[in-house]
Amino acid sequence: MNKDVKEPIQKKWIWIGLVIILLGNVPWYFSDSMVEPYIFGFPLWGFIILIFSVILSAYLSWICLTQWNLVEDEEEANK
Amino acid sequence: MGELTFAGIDGIIILSAFAIIMLVIGYFSGRGEKNIHESLTGYYLAGKNLGIIALFFTLFATQYSGNTIVGYAPTAYRTGFSWLQSISFMTIIIGVYLLFAPRLYVIAKKRNFVTPTDWLEHRFNSKGITLLAIFLMLWGLGNYLLEQLVAIGQAVSGMTGGTIPYQIAVLAFVFVMLAYEWMGGMKAVAFTDVMQGIVLLIGIFAFVAGGIYLAGGSFGSITQFIAETEPAKLAVPAAEVNINWFSMLILVGLGASIYPHAVQRIYAARSEKTLKKSFARMAWMPLLTTGLVFLVGIIGIKLFPGLEGGDSEQLVGLMANEIASINSFFYWIMIIFFGGIVAAIVSTADSVLLSFSSLISNDVYGKFINPKASEHRKVMVGKIVGIIAIFGLLWIAWNPPGTLYEIFVLKFELLVQVFPAFVLGLYWKRLNGKAVFWGMVIGAIVAGVLTFTGNKTVYGIHGGIIGLSLNFIICIVGSYLSSASAKKDPVLEEDMNVVNL
Repeated sequence: MNKDVKEPIQKKWIWIGLVIILLGNVPWYFSDSMVEPYIFGFPLWGFIILIFSVILSAYLSWICLTQWNLVEDEEEANK
Repeated sequence: MGELTFAGIDGIIILSAFAIIMLVIGYFSGRGEKNIHESLTGYYLAGKNLGIIALFFTLFATQYSGNTIVGYAPTAYRTGFSWLQSISFMTIIIGVYLLFAPRLYVIAKKRNFVTPTDWLEHRFNSKGITLLAIFLMLWGLGNYLLEQLVAIGQAVSGMTGGTIPYQIAVLAFVFVMLAYEWMGGMKAVAFTDVMQGIVLLIGIFAFVAGGIYLAGGSFGSITQFIAETEPAKLAVPAAEVNINWFSMLILVGLGASIYPHAVQRIYAARSEKTLKKSFARMAWMPLLTTGLVFLVGIIGIKLFPGLEGGDSEQLVGLMANEIASINSFFYWIMIIFFGGIVAAIVSTADSVLLSFSSLISNDVYGKFINPKASEHRKVMVGKIVGIIAIFGLLWIAWNPPGTLYEIFVLKFELLVQVFPAFVLGLYWKRLNGKAVFWGMVIGAIVAGVLTFTGNKTVYGIHGGIIGLSLNFIICIVGSYLSSASAKKDPVLEEDMNVVNL
């Protein structure tokens, strides 16, 4: 296989990473007391969930740009 | 949306201006492109030549409808901070795209696909699967379109303070939409999406700014208020809410990415580079849309405490009224914002309608009724049936259903059943047509029955996900049980090895 060819589904670590981020992104692991302190107006648990949401966006955006390259070289060369 | 007394004639002016801009864009995207009405690819996929700006905005404006704002803000208002899930379930759609879009793009370009059905037909060569998939997709699209039609009417009559009655509002915008779509097809849809998406973004930003200003200038003071009056809305969500949250991630992620109009945007990309850059940007958009809409709902708790059920659905209208009264700057921004909501609904409806027509043109008519027809004729049939369908749905729309969110979940339940065939088929040679067919049938029946008997969720898990799990199991077990066909299909081999080409 051509080394420069990258397809996200073939890279296991991408999906393990995604599952870990998603597990962090749903507030199942907080105790009921983790409402305070408030951070920028968010309850503590909500702020952590928000951080994970930002991480999720950044991660997926980065994967799209760097881990996906099937026919790009060929297409760009034919332009 | 209730009565918005702030707009009236000014609202009509802005709406008319938006309508004219859309028509002009539609006219210019169709002009000089003779090809557009002569070929399925030209009309439905803009010649598979959408560049980064058009592709990004059409992905954005199609995915985020006016409903996202009008329906999600009240949900945040009612449920509190657990509605933060609306950010992640919109983001995960990009993650699901990464499962299949890269390979599908390559195969679709190569095999010249027009609709999602083309892939299924190519892969399984089974009339049963093709017909069932067409049925499920048309059902999902029809339901989605209906929801948009209802929403257009509510938004416009709300915005103009009832000056324009519900029915006339819908008819006017349906006419505008049909006109530009008729003239320019996907190209017109994508180019109007650029304008519609920009207006919507500006509107949301202004709305949040105005809301925070009204609520006392700091978000912290709003949370403080909620902590004193309704602490449940700040509390760590209960186990069932969390299970439901996971279920939503799966349902929306799989369902929204497999929408026919979403899949067709993969086909319509000019190049892989364009497609991946668009997705990379889309991954950030939930924070700027559903994230800000979530804030709107939370701010609403302080501005209008104590709204229940149906009354809370009026939240966006109520807040807009207040924000518009700050000063004349906000007054005009709010009118533009409401125009933006209407534009966002239209931008979703036009894409759904286009996709609906393409399924009629290419699949129902082109595969089953008259395969030998010229492409011009196929396009024509799709356009005309699309118009008939719109007016059929309008009949239903005159009696709008209650909460928007309810129907939002319903349409995914069935549509998502196409997912295993669609995605497993891309990677797993052994996947067997019969197993796929029965998986889809049983998945759809289970999802439908659970939903219609009032068991939309079981222990927080959506009926659609339960049906989908069965569907996956049947596909996988069924494929293993059926005698593995020894003969190698050269076309299939080629598709599976597309990466090595």
